[in-house]
Amino acid sequence: MFELKRTPFHERTSKLCLPQNWRRWAGYLVAGSYELTLDREYWAIRNSAALIDVTPLMKYIIKGKDASRLLNRVVTRDMDRLKVGQVYYTGWCDEEGKLIDDGTVARLDETSYRLTSAEPNLRWLAMNAVSLDVEIREVTDSVAALSLQGPNSRAILNRAAAESVDGLKYFRLMQNKLDEIPVTISRTGYTGDLGYEIWMDAEDALRVWDRLMEAGADYGIMPVGILAMDMARVEAGLFMLEVDYTSASQAWIEPQKSSPFELGLDWTVALDKPGYFVGRRALEHEKRAGSAWKLMGLEVEWEGMERLFKEVGLPPQIPGMAVRESLPVLVGDVQVGYVSTSTWSPLLKKYIALAHLQRPYYEAGTNVRMEITVEHHRQHAAAKVVKLPFYEPEWKKK
Amino acid sequence: MSNAYDVIVIGGGHNGLVAAAYLAKAKKNVLVLERRPIVGGSVVTESFGDGFDVDSVWTGGTLRPDIIRDLKLELPASTAPTAPLSARSPFISLQSDGNHLVLDADPVKAAESIKRFSEKDAGRWGEFVRFMDKAANVLDITYATLMPRLPRNFSLEEGYGLLELGLDLRLMGRRDMLNFIRALPMTAQELVEEYFESEQLKAALASVAIHGSTLGPMSAGTGYTLIHNWLNRGGPAHVNVGRAGGITQALAEAVKACGGEIRVEAEVASIQVDMYKCKGVVLANGEEIFADTVISAADPKQTFLSLVGPMNLPPEFVWKTQSIKMRGSVAKIHLLTDEGHGIPDGTVALAPSIKYLEKAYDAAKYGEISKQPYLEVTSVPVRESAKESVVSIHFQFAPYALKHGTWTPRQAAAVERETVERLAIDILADHFVNLKSSIVNSRTITPHDLETIYGLTEGDLNHGQLMLDQFLFMRPIPGWSNHKTPIDNLYLCGSGVHGGGGVSGAAGRNVIKVLK
Repeated sequence: MFELKRTPFHERTSKLCLPQNWRRWAGYLVAGSYELTLDREYWAIRNSAALIDVTPLMKYIIKGKDASRLLNRVVTRDMDRLKVGQVYYTGWCDEEGKLIDDGTVARLDETSYRLTSAEPNLRWLAMNAVSLDVEIREVTDSVAALSLQGPNSRAILNRAAAESVDGLKYFRLMQNKLDEIPVTISRTGYTGDLGYEIWMDAEDALRVWDRLMEAGADYGIMPVGILAMDMARVEAGLFMLEVDYTSASQAWIEPQKSSPFELGLDWTVALDKPGYFVGRRALEHEKRAGSAWKLMGLEVEWEGMERLFKEVGLPPQIPGMAVRESLPVLVGDVQVGYVSTSTWSPLLKKYIALAHLQRPYYEAGTNVRMEITVEHHRQHAAAKVVKLPFYEPEWKKK
Repeated sequence: MSNAYDVIVIGGGHNGLVAAAYLAKAKKNVLVLERRPIVGGSVVTESFGDGFDVDSVWTGGTLRPDIIRDLKLELPASTAPTAPLSARSPFISLQSDGNHLVLDADPVKAAESIKRFSEKDAGRWGEFVRFMDKAANVLDITYATLMPRLPRNFSLEEGYGLLELGLDLRLMGRRDMLNFIRALPMTAQELVEEYFESEQLKAALASVAIHGSTLGPMSAGTGYTLIHNWLNRGGPAHVNVGRAGGITQALAEAVKACGGEIRVEAEVASIQVDMYKCKGVVLANGEEIFADTVISAADPKQTFLSLVGPMNLPPEFVWKTQSIKMRGSVAKIHLLTDEGHGIPDGTVALAPSIKYLEKAYDAAKYGEISKQPYLEVTSVPVRESAKESVVSIHFQFAPYALKHGTWTPRQAAAVERETVERLAIDILADHFVNLKSSIVNSRTITPHDLETIYGLTEGDLNHGQLMLDQFLFMRPIPGWSNHKTPIDNLYLCGSGVHGGGGVSGAAGRNVIKVLK
């Protein structure tokens, strides 16, 4: 019988997940939330520290003489510039320059890398490794991962780890120890806050969890599910595969595919790196011709919403979590795009959304209207196009 | 010597030379690079140092008449598909009782021989030849029509050619058109059984269908290969046997006469690609030669996987190229003989029954050398009016990929090589008792030799099996059937593209149409 996998932290998370709010993530069962409402978990991310089980991230070790050649061929960023101990966020495309997946590449040493992705990519990597001296190994199950996010995360790690993480810069990694357990700590995350991800052998998972919970007790650490993270990532302007875009390898029709430019990943497309990489020709062409679409932020005007709800005698109703529902975006009566994720931002006190907009409506400052449902009736609330991210605290990179 | 050309052609085989001759004639500054000391590729007549000239791989060939005309080639009239029937050699199918089936190019004479096996079949021979000639003609037109790059691309321009082809097909007449379309996916056995009853005749024709392919007469798509080989031979028999190298020598002369340059012993080590534009080539000795356009007559696997390199190509393209079925299973045994071997002139086949052929093929499926192989034998005097002759035996099946043993030139390989040679001689000696005593010297070319010496990946004579999923717009791979490649300025013109397979020059001629 088909059964969702349990992460190495399940022993702990299952006892904490009181509302039994379980979610599926890449074939694993993970906690959606540990409480009935997301408020406290969300605020842990923004005000103290959140411990999130991110084991289901697909992980690959790419190792060997030609490891960097393989990655340079596959991903859009320039791997020759990635130093040992550094991490890059990047996407990768098909030959038509449409995004297949996105994730991080960590350079563990001269000839080995760890790639993370949302969906399985082993076949794609193998197809690209023809004639190369490289070993590709999926380690999703054997490497457990925890994300420790929030302004207190550094203090907690400094208390729990053998070595201080003070010197660990944004998108860098270090080898460290927690209670004699070897771990890799990278200063990365999916919340747009100060935060770290801790990578360990699956067997050590529970001891690492316990150590962090213990060290974080005085700092307001909380186990946090992926739903609160979902709100935070929208604030941080981070999109998600299969929610905000469709992988080129999964799309049924061409318009479902997105290029990195269309998703605002211009900065990750290194057209100045030497040689061929997959999708290069199409990306060069798009760069010259301009993109038909762009992912932008949308801020819904509160007064307009208030008015629409007032007409039916209600105060504004706002969802208590991020909504993964496609909502049309209009200018006048013409649809010019759609929202793929929208959420209330408790911190910004704004209703925000990730919106895919057609040229020329993707310029910041453009006034648009977003569909909302008021008492079962479709209405349109005024909104403004803004740059991403919505929220970026100064301590994120400091 | 300059090191920049308008066009570089990689490989001096018949298709490479045809393309080069057309380009030279159009006043292009063209350079042909041939790895071996002699041009011709697998259409070559050469000596192995012991003084006797051998048609190493292909024993004959018929360039398309328009190529001969366009390039004003001086070929013996008998090597043209339009040669008069009287100038053509017969197809002889050996029978154990010595009562051989002789298919003369003249249908009336052939019918006389068939009559000894079946009166009814003799009566239908003329009808069959008419259908096959018509079908071959339509295939010829198909091979002259550029295929659309389905499923990637379909332009109006590509559509026009297809419209014309559709019209030609319709002009066959409704019945023949349907029979033609129906014949392609059929097995050779089914196709010939629709006409004939005698095992001897059916098997003889079935052997023509499987010649050069790793397929048996009961394999789907051998209806197509029968028509294909019929087209390229001009009937069941090679129009004329021997001195196939004369074709490529004449082509080389045509290239040079128009100012084209040919360099032999110039092995291309790699095709130079900058991003996705082809700049030229680098030779094995390190010499760089630049060109605006590079045309590769090498097979698609060799061209892309070793000369261009997978790192310069899109992953899906690499994957599809890796998946091209090569699967050569032909060995050639050449015997230098004094007079008196007793083998008649013409195309002599050992194909006693359809089951015999199918069993010969079965061995190949399991990576074994056929114990009872299908043989096609030709004998050619070493020089004009000489008594000595070279008997060339086309041996099927000797699969490139052996389950046990190896073709690679080590100790073990000698065993396999000798096995093939001994089998061929022993079996043939059953029919020609004086053969063994007439042998002066021998030379065997294994599938591995075909790969290493003649550059045929996996020893596949056709640069990719002629199978239904590897023909028309699927040759060499779907989406890339019109000579173009993912690399700008790099084109294919070898047997591995549409029009190719066998010795016709169609692929070399067609590439000119896409060069703009």
